[in-house]
Amino acid sequence: MTRARSLAVPCRAVVHALALLLALLAGHAAAQVAVVPQSSGPATGLADSAALRATVFGVPPEQLAEGPERVPVLEIEMRMPWARPLPRVLWFNERLRVWFSPQPGEAPLAVVIAGTGADGNTGNMRLLRAALHGAGYHVLTLPSPTHPGFISAASSTGVAGDLRQDGEDLYRAVVRLVAKLPDAPRIRHVDVLGYSLGGVNAGTLKLIDAREGKLGIRRALMINPPVSLFRSIGRLDRLFAEAIGPADSGVERLYQQLYAELANLYRVSSAVQVDEAFLYGAAASVLRTDAEFSAAIALNFRLALANMFFAGDLYAKTGAVVDARDPPGPGDRLEATYVTLRGKTFADYFDEVFAPYYLARRPGATRASLVDDNRLDVFGDALRDSPDCYVQTNRDDLILDATDLAWLERSFAGRIAVYDHGGHLGNIGSREQVADMLAMLEGRWNGGGR
Amino acid sequence: MRRASLLLLATVLLAGCATTREMRVRHLPDDLPQAQRAAAIERAERLAALRAGAENGAAAPSDAAGVPVPPVTPADAPSMRTHDPFERINRFTYRVNARFDEGVFLPVANGYRRLPRPVRSGVHNFFGNLGEIGNTLNFTLQGRPGHGLRSLGRFAVNTTLGIGGLFDVAKKFRLTHAPTGFGTTLAKWGMRPGPYLVLPLIGPSTLRDTVGLGGDFGLAYAADPGGFYRTSRNSWMFGVANSVDLRAAIDFRYYETGSAFEYDTIRFLYMRQRLLEDEKLRGEGADLPRSTGVPAGQ
Repeated sequence: MTRARSLAVPCRAVVHALALLLALLAGHAAAQVAVVPQSSGPATGLADSAALRATVFGVPPEQLAEGPERVPVLEIEMRMPWARPLPRVLWFNERLRVWFSPQPGEAPLAVVIAGTGADGNTGNMRLLRAALHGAGYHVLTLPSPTHPGFISAASSTGVAGDLRQDGEDLYRAVVRLVAKLPDAPRIRHVDVLGYSLGGVNAGTLKLIDAREGKLGIRRALMINPPVSLFRSIGRLDRLFAEAIGPADSGVERLYQQLYAELANLYRVSSAVQVDEAFLYGAAASVLRTDAEFSAAIALNFRLALANMFFAGDLYAKTGAVVDARDPPGPGDRLEATYVTLRGKTFADYFDEVFAPYYLARRPGATRASLVDDNRLDVFGDALRDSPDCYVQTNRDDLILDATDLAWLERSFAGRIAVYDHGGHLGNIGSREQVADMLAMLEGRWNGGGR
Repeated sequence: MRRASLLLLATVLLAGCATTREMRVRHLPDDLPQAQRAAAIERAERLAALRAGAENGAAAPSDAAGVPVPPVTPADAPSMRTHDPFERINRFTYRVNARFDEGVFLPVANGYRRLPRPVRSGVHNFFGNLGEIGNTLNFTLQGRPGHGLRSLGRFAVNTTLGIGGLFDVAKKFRLTHAPTGFGTTLAKWGMRPGPYLVLPLIGPSTLRDTVGLGGDFGLAYAADPGGFYRTSRNSWMFGVANSVDLRAAIDFRYYETGSAFEYDTIRFLYMRQRLLEDEKLRGEGADLPRSTGVPAGQ
């Protein structure tokens, strides 16, 4: 029986392939690489070098907060009865997948929502989970309502990105999950938090709970939230245009350049396989210039958008990239569709899927009202006035402009920590961020002298 | 013995997994934040040393005769498209593999992951050590005697001092594990990857790697070290243990991306990984034609 031997090769290949994806396209595999490469390229104008680098590489490991020795993790998959019929090509997203880390006795529950397109078990999530569990919370981590798994399994529309609608679906999902957590953990009270778009989702949960009262949410914390969804996505579209250019030729050029750099690096290395160990090292060497950091960040958002766009088009039957009468099945070629999607901006999503869908279903809605509905500074009045809503952000967060930051500082005065550095999400897990986060959730944060 | 093993397998399979139509709960291995942080710091330090070394004297690669090899340029990069003439069958196999992994392979691997670390590392080292026989042979066939000697040295040291391969003593002598296979040997001999294939139960491959797998397979069967692969009555158990150990070492979950394009992504990455490995062989003098302008692998 030698069949087993052969399993080695491809499985290893898959995991290395994934590491490669992350290293090349998202920069996440490179997170926690302490060697910060020298910058030599021009800044994009949207963020400075340090911000881009922090966004790509995250917190250097020696500056991470001390975590607990071990954190138990349960994976829970649950069917949500309000989900729309599952398209055949997304057959694997039948149940919503979340992660739960219980405490042995009675404890507060922290519900954590991921950022755009991310699931509930990412590197950032693991850092937050470790900090919260170590501080005595039960921790429930959920994917972003823009993750294709959530869109299929728990969205009542299939068209993600509307704060109010996503919030309602998220709220229902959390209520259902909390009621059915395995071994019925004893929950003292519930706090919600999230990063990036997930931060705003967490704020929305708090607002909905004030009306519904099914969870009894005590405090909410928004980490690096956008202020106007549409202004932030405009900045990301611009980042892509400046760092990569037109999608079809720009992505190809970026790929060719990274391929050549990796190949040359691999030739002089002692490695005999393109494996994780090699890629960890390569990521720090291959991504060097601001242009490359910008490209990695922009591409990461773009690939998240591609999934959201595809699902939205499939559910809304808008026909932007998928033939509504003859949708693709699980055996069909999707390469051409994927290439088309790489060229679609956030603005295209709004114009071709989001607006047509919601304008047809919301009497009296206009494009301007849809934009305003997705601004924290418009719908978030109640959050601004709530003493239990906190914010952590960075002065150099690339999804915020000066107006956004000023609005946050003014509205959440005394309840906001603004760090000088960190870019977008680049200081999650640092000693300072974790200490402030825990103090905020426990209501003992005194403004940190800021 | 056989019945007991099957019973054990079934227990492991069912442990930590409660399923209804409505919901499913699965115990995952614990997160180890402290250990992960320590590992990241160690990796960073190693990397810093590596970079310092590279900056001081990174030699340009040269072939066997000492002639410098021209560096890979962006124009040499293969197409982003992949030659996949059997896509419909491949996608079907990918789905079957995902279901098998979800229903059988991963639950068993998760059960195995709860065994004490020394037991698991013993199993892992043991199979890794058996693999050194094939590595030695393949490195030799690839004309890379240095790597071949290292594999042979590892086998000698670990089989004796490492008590039949249970301990990786050789690592302490800086003889690190570096596996290879007959697929890479074929590449060195000038065979192109060929079309992308998804093999049942196994996963992503190419025509060349499938042939290579057959070669590695045949070698293990023929050499039959210790009788583990053929002659022992319980050789099937060694096979199962080997595959479970391998699966447990891999942090991959089918469809965790939730993406309809996961098949495309994995295909892209697997093919690029193998093509990058080919670049090194080219640097070492392999006469391996590039497929520029056509889908990669064609």
